[in-house]
Amino acid sequence: MLINKEMKMADVIHLNHHLLPIINRFGIQLGFGERTVQEVCKDYAVNLDFFLEIVNTFHDPSYFPLRHLRSFAPGMLIDYLQKTHLYYLKIKLPEIAQYIRQLTTNTDMDPNHVQLLQDFFTSYESELSAHINREEQRVYPYIRTLEKALQTGAVMTDYPTSEAYTIHHYEEEHDDVESKLFDLKNIIIKYLPSPVESRLFNIILHELFELEKDLNNHAHIEDLILVPMVEKMEKELIKAKSNQ
Amino acid sequence: MARLNILCIESSFLLREGLKTLLGQMGKPFSMEECDVVVDDLAKVLRKAKPQLVIANPDMLTAIGAFPREMPECDHRIFYTGLVNEQTADKAKARFDFLLPVHADKLSLSRRLEEILTAIFGKTADSETGTLSERELSILKHIALGLTNSDIGEQLFISPHTVMTHRKNITRKLGIKTVSGLTVYAILNKLIKVEELQVSDRHEAQL
Repeated sequence: MLINKEMKMADVIHLNHHLLPIINRFGIQLGFGERTVQEVCKDYAVNLDFFLEIVNTFHDPSYFPLRHLRSFAPGMLIDYLQKTHLYYLKIKLPEIAQYIRQLTTNTDMDPNHVQLLQDFFTSYESELSAHINREEQRVYPYIRTLEKALQTGAVMTDYPTSEAYTIHHYEEEHDDVESKLFDLKNIIIKYLPSPVESRLFNIILHELFELEKDLNNHAHIEDLILVPMVEKMEKELIKAKSNQ
Repeated sequence: MARLNILCIESSFLLREGLKTLLGQMGKPFSMEECDVVVDDLAKVLRKAKPQLVIANPDMLTAIGAFPREMPECDHRIFYTGLVNEQTADKAKARFDFLLPVHADKLSLSRRLEEILTAIFGKTADSETGTLSERELSILKHIALGLTNSDIGEQLFISPHTVMTHRKNITRKLGIKTVSGLTVYAILNKLIKVEELQVSDRHEAQL
């Protein structure tokens, strides 16, 4: 079932509560009353069409908003992706790290095992952060420059015809970080002896699944919407340059 | 495991969708070619779909005589499952390898499908159970210690290509893809000690 503007925002959460962090990312908070999606978006000055495409892409992975989403300004998409990054770095990863630290107080767990888990998570954390930083420092500024060049009609001298960074480099960088998260889940599910009191273990696992789902959606948006969008801009700029 | 190609000959959309749902819950990858009209030339449809399993409504197959079990175009045997109800004649039933009573409850349908898939594929192979062979254990140990494919190949007198094949199998059996993940597995299962790891790290740093 697709989420549409006439639905009550409260019903959207009843339909899929995993959407909450996504909705928060738009600055929207709980306490919707009887207001519809459209009304809530208006209250928070959120672009309704953009909001609907993002939540539907997350809600149904087979939903592919090709035509629609690509018509939004790249800047708007990047803003959203950056908020997602902040959520991972400032909220989700520290939260999971905190849960893993709490395991050390668990007396019926082998401290060496906790250490192994902690080290593995730390290395995952730094890989994900490195990946995110690359996007923030190289990819997004590059896209914003492209967008500006197209708006102002200015001809770019060094992009994208030179040896500079083009979007193709970016596509290749995905994947590796995903495998590590996949491994982390399996290590906990299959191989790490669980303490008798497994509540904390369950929470950690649950958080990892949620993080994975969120990351997959993030990558989905980047690969299927952002990359084609940028490729199109690159082509337009090359064309503008050759016409000159 | 290889994907199972199924050809479904049944006019009812609901039945076809129901079958797909049930098959999806069996946890075996499959793809289903659907045919919703009466088939006069079965051989022609088979040549196109190349199915391992045909699931068909007996009334929708007009050809008489035995179904073709082998086709020059297919490198596998073709099995037939009949979608039958209380009215289906015994003579029609006899042409099929398996029968699926369409009015049965969900549990019996799932069991029946499981039996059919097992009969076609055989029991789940050892490669799916997660037990590593002696060779794989020894290679895993070397991977965990940070050795490259060619290092491992040299030490065990096998080609780097063979090492790669073993690595793929290890990853599939354990569900662990990265070197650091495999290292954690090796330590948890006491294949290597943490101290060994630090030694090999130093070794690497010296190189």
